[in-house]
Formats: sequence, C-alpha cells, structure tokens
Amino acid sequence: MEPLQLLGQGFATCFTPLNLAFILIGVLVGQIIGALPGIGPAAGMALLLPLTYGIPPATAIMMLAGIMYGGMYGGTLTSVLVNVPGEAASVMTAVDGHQMARKGRAGAALSIAAIGSFLAGIAAVIAVVFITPPLAAFGLKFNAPEYFLLALLGITASASLGSNSATKALMAALLGLMIAMVGVDPIQGTQRMIFGQRQLLEGIDFLPVAIGIFGIAEVLSSLERWQEMQPMRTRLRDMWLTSHEWAQSRMAIVRGGLVGFFIGVMPGAGPTIASMLAYVTERRFSRHPERFGHGAIDAVAAAESANNAASHGACVPMLALGIPGSASTAVLLAALILHGIRPGPGLMTEQSVLVWGLIASMFIGNVVLLILNLPLAPLFAALLRVRYVYLAPGILVISLVGAYASTLNFSTVWISLAFGLVGWFMIKLDFPRAPLVLALVLAPLLESSLRQSLLLSFGSLKIFVERPLSAALLVCVVLSLALPVVSALRRAGGSRKVG
Amino acid sequence: MRLSEVAPAAFLLALSGAMALETRNLGFWSDTTPGPAFLPVWLAVAGVVLAVLRLLEARRSAPGAGWPDKAALLRVTLIFAGLMAIPALAPLVGLLPALALFMAYLLFAVLRQRLWPSLATIAITGALVYAIFMRWLGVPLPVGLLGF
Repeated sequence: MEPLQLLGQGFATCFTPLNLAFILIGVLVGQIIGALPGIGPAAGMALLLPLTYGIPPATAIMMLAGIMYGGMYGGTLTSVLVNVPGEAASVMTAVDGHQMARKGRAGAALSIAAIGSFLAGIAAVIAVVFITPPLAAFGLKFNAPEYFLLALLGITASASLGSNSATKALMAALLGLMIAMVGVDPIQGTQRMIFGQRQLLEGIDFLPVAIGIFGIAEVLSSLERWQEMQPMRTRLRDMWLTSHEWAQSRMAIVRGGLVGFFIGVMPGAGPTIASMLAYVTERRFSRHPERFGHGAIDAVAAAESANNAASHGACVPMLALGIPGSASTAVLLAALILHGIRPGPGLMTEQSVLVWGLIASMFIGNVVLLILNLPLAPLFAALLRVRYVYLAPGILVISLVGAYASTLNFSTVWISLAFGLVGWFMIKLDFPRAPLVLALVLAPLLESSLRQSLLLSFGSLKIFVERPLSAALLVCVVLSLALPVVSALRRAGGSRKVG
Repeated sequence: MRLSEVAPAAFLLALSGAMALETRNLGFWSDTTPGPAFLPVWLAVAGVVLAVLRLLEARRSAPGAGWPDKAALLRVTLIFAGLMAIPALAPLVGLLPALALFMAYLLFAVLRQRLWPSLATIAITGALVYAIFMRWLGVPLPVGLLGF
C-alpha cells in the first residue's frame, strides 16, 4: 500500500476519543515538562512509562511521542522568559530569545519559535512518511553482521557526536552494555553476572534504570541549589510578528528544519546538537551575523525549527530499523518492547496500525502544540510561577511508585535509587547519560547478532567485510570512533600554535 | 588530578574486574561459537582501556566546576537518605504513608518550605498516586502493619 493510504489509515486510528485524548495529554505534559528546568523529555517519558500499562500500545506510544516533541515546544518558554533553558535543546533559544524579551519582544520570540517549530515539525513528519517505508524495506535485507554493526554504530555515534569528551561518552555506553550483561545469556540461557542475587536473574530492566538516570538524578541535581524563577510577563497582543520579522525568519525556518531533520536521522546526535548546528549555520548565512547573541529573531527561528525537526527525524531509524537515534527515542523503543512489540524493519508491516497511527498523531500533536503555544502562551507563561520545590517531591514520589508498579517488587525501587545516584554523579562529573540508555536498549540486539554472525562464519571476522553493506557500516563505525580522535588532535595542534 | 576525575576511571576498572571474575567459570568459546563469557570479557577489556585513557585525559584537563559545594552536597545526601527510607519503611507502614512521610520530611525538614502549600502538595500528590496507580491502573500498593 502507498504511504499516503497508510497515513490515511493512521489518521483513522488517531481519530478515536481515547487516542485523541492521550495525544492531547502527551503534548500537554511534554509542553509542561519542556518548560520545567531540570527535567527533560526523556525523563518525562521514562517517568510516565509505567502509567501506560493500562492503555493500548498504540495509544501509549502516541502519548509518549507527544511528550517527546511537546518538550521541544515547551523548552522555549523558560528560555525566552527566564533565560534558563527548559531542556538542553533550548540552550541556543535562550541566547537570543531572552535578549528579545529584554527588548520587549518576548511575544515575537515565542511566536516565531512556535511557528518555526510547527512548520519544521510538519515538514519533518512528511519526510518521515516518505523515508521510513523504503528504509524499512531496505532494512529487511540486513543479516546478523549488519545488525551488529548498526547497533554498534548507534552506540559509537552517540559517543562521538553527543559529548565533549568521547572517552566519557564511551565509558557511559560501556556501563550501559555491562548492565545489560546481567541476568541470563540470550543464546544459551546460562546465568551470568548475577553476583549471587537471585533477583538479578531476570536482568536489570530498562525502566528502573531510565527512571533513576533521568528522573531521580535530574530532580536531585535541581534541588541542590534551586533558583526561584521570575518569568517576564507577555501578552497575547505582543505575539504578532511584524512583516520585517517574518521576512527575516522564513528562510531560517527552512534551513533550521533541514539541518534539524538530517541531524535527527543520524544515530546519536539528537535535538540539542541540531539546534546548536542550526544556530551556527544561520549565523553563517546571515547578512548581519553581529546581531546574533543580541536578540536576532532568525537565530530563535533556526534553533527552534531544528530541535523539533530533529526530534521527529530521530523516529526514522527507530521505526525503520529499531535503532534509536536519541535518548527520547530509546525510551520510545523501550516502551514498544514493554508493550510486547518487537522493533526492527518488520515493525512497519507487522504493526502497521501502530506505526502509521503514531506518524499521523505527530501531525495532530503539532497542530495542538501550535494552538497551545500561540494563543495560550501567556497562560503557560503564568504556569512558570508555580514554585519548583512544590513540584519536585511529586516527581520523586511518582518516579518511585512507577518503578514499583513495573514489577510489584521493591527491588526495582532500589535499582531506580541506585541509578538515580549514578545519574547524579554523571551530571556532576559531566558524563553524558544518553549513551548509557542507548547502549542498554541496543545491547540485546548487539550481542545476539554478534554471536550469530560469528556462529555463521565459524569464528571468522571476515563476515563483517564480505558484504558491501556490512563493510560500509564498519567504515562508519571506524569513522565515528576516529572523528573525536582527529578533532582532539586538531584542538591540540591549534592550542600549540596559540601557545 | 582531583578525586572526582579519578573516581570514574577507578569505578570502571573495579567493574571490569568484577565482570571478569564473575564470568570466569563461563565458556568464552566452544567449538564454533562464542560462549556466554565472550562479550562480557571483551567489555571488561574495553573497560580497562577506557579507564586508562580517562586517567591520561584527566591528567591534562582543567578541574571541572560542576561539583557542588558542602551545603548542596548535604542537601542531596539528606534527600537521598529520605528516598532510601521509602522502600525500607513501606513494608512496615504502607507505601502511601511512607510517601507522605517522605514528602513531609523533604518539604519541612530539608527544603524548609511553608506549612500550608507543603500540606497541599502532600495531599495533592497522595491523591494523584492513589487515583492513578490504585484506582486507574489497579496496582496493589503495599499496605503496612496497620492495614493502610
């Protein structure tokens, strides 16, 4: 069937009262989570994952995806009105958005962010509609070696692209892989690394790790020394853009959306890098780059278009190949697994209703978010006056009850707490957390496909270079590992010259 | 080199050692196929390599500024101790009362917030947990010795 027909079926799936209600809940929660400093969309998705046990899988995935891209819209509010990014992908928005607010143009900054996010988001979903099916069909040709290399690329790329220190990111990924080794060996069924604890026989689930690493760790870090926010006020009538502002922004939206989508599709990069790259790109294209950092509306447009396009673009490898491109899509993939759905290239055909329902829900969700962020922006700005100290206990409590509800056993709560502490240390020591969760999600695929490959080749490593596709993937893995080494050498060379 | 720079490398070294020890009795390779210890052993090797690389990197890098001061560290310790009390107390007093006690401890003792907004926070959060987990999802939250 053609993508457009399937998309039509997806809309039919969405237009039920239950699904529409949960899309609305998802984007609303995403908007609020995005606006709250100290808790990002991946954390919000992990915290709310246990609540999806009571609803059908398609509805659950639509809601969780709503949190993912809703967070991109919500992050703008705090960036512009408080100069504190609501989540990491809104860092670049704070640079110029808050400067605009100080000049009395907060409404215009919020407006262009919402419009840019909406246009780039819709364009990105259209691209998802047409790119995902052929990529999934191509993925059906993959064998064990390609799957091993693809999973490895997902991990190494997240390490080399998503962090200042590749060593730290690789250490985080390695920790994720080590955690995944606990339990039972997937091929022979042998007990492994349970350290004498029978509770560990079933392995360490993704959910308590994600709740700890993202949810508990972020709240602990925020409560260390919180600042009461003093958001600037904005009114509905201030949200109109002048024709000059629109003319300045329209090409920035196009460029930001393109940069964002392609960065999002790449494994391991994600919305934060997308918005930074879009900002830098826009400054290069600008006739007046000196305005950047002093309230340039095109900078806000580019950064916000990019982060929303990237969050949708990250769904392409997740849906087509079962490889998450970001921490948020790793949580989405884990949600699929928790609901008994096997991700991979077969997902598009085996779970067509779910996949196309999810894609259609993104169109609906973006329209809802545009409404929430244009006429209702002043209302959400007022929500920022709720003090964080009263929200934090609720977030911690719901995290722990969610962890308990997943197994009805307190051992899951202890695991969440332990990883909360690990996550807090990672934040303090500047270790990225996304590679850890990506590695944890990808580990079963990585190990089983590695061992199947070596079984097929009687232990010969040639199997990884015999087919052109696997050889190309191997080159990508090597490049992703070499990239940080080359940039470190260049940095060292540059500093020597300066010295 | 500061302790905060060395600690992650030492942790990874210890974890790699534990992994190698724990899988020492499992098969690394049988006739034609890798065994259950195959990947863990390689991960342990990678752990040692990365830990050494991190130590070398830490020697050259400037100390990070992200480590909290004493007051912040004390607050995190107190909050975390409160969190650990929840699963420890829940079998005795019940999960909902344990959560309420934790929130009261956090808001009054650690964060020193005002009485009425804090009580409202505890009541609203308790009601949300009850409505979502117990009523909607049907999760049987553990009750304590007193039956609630």
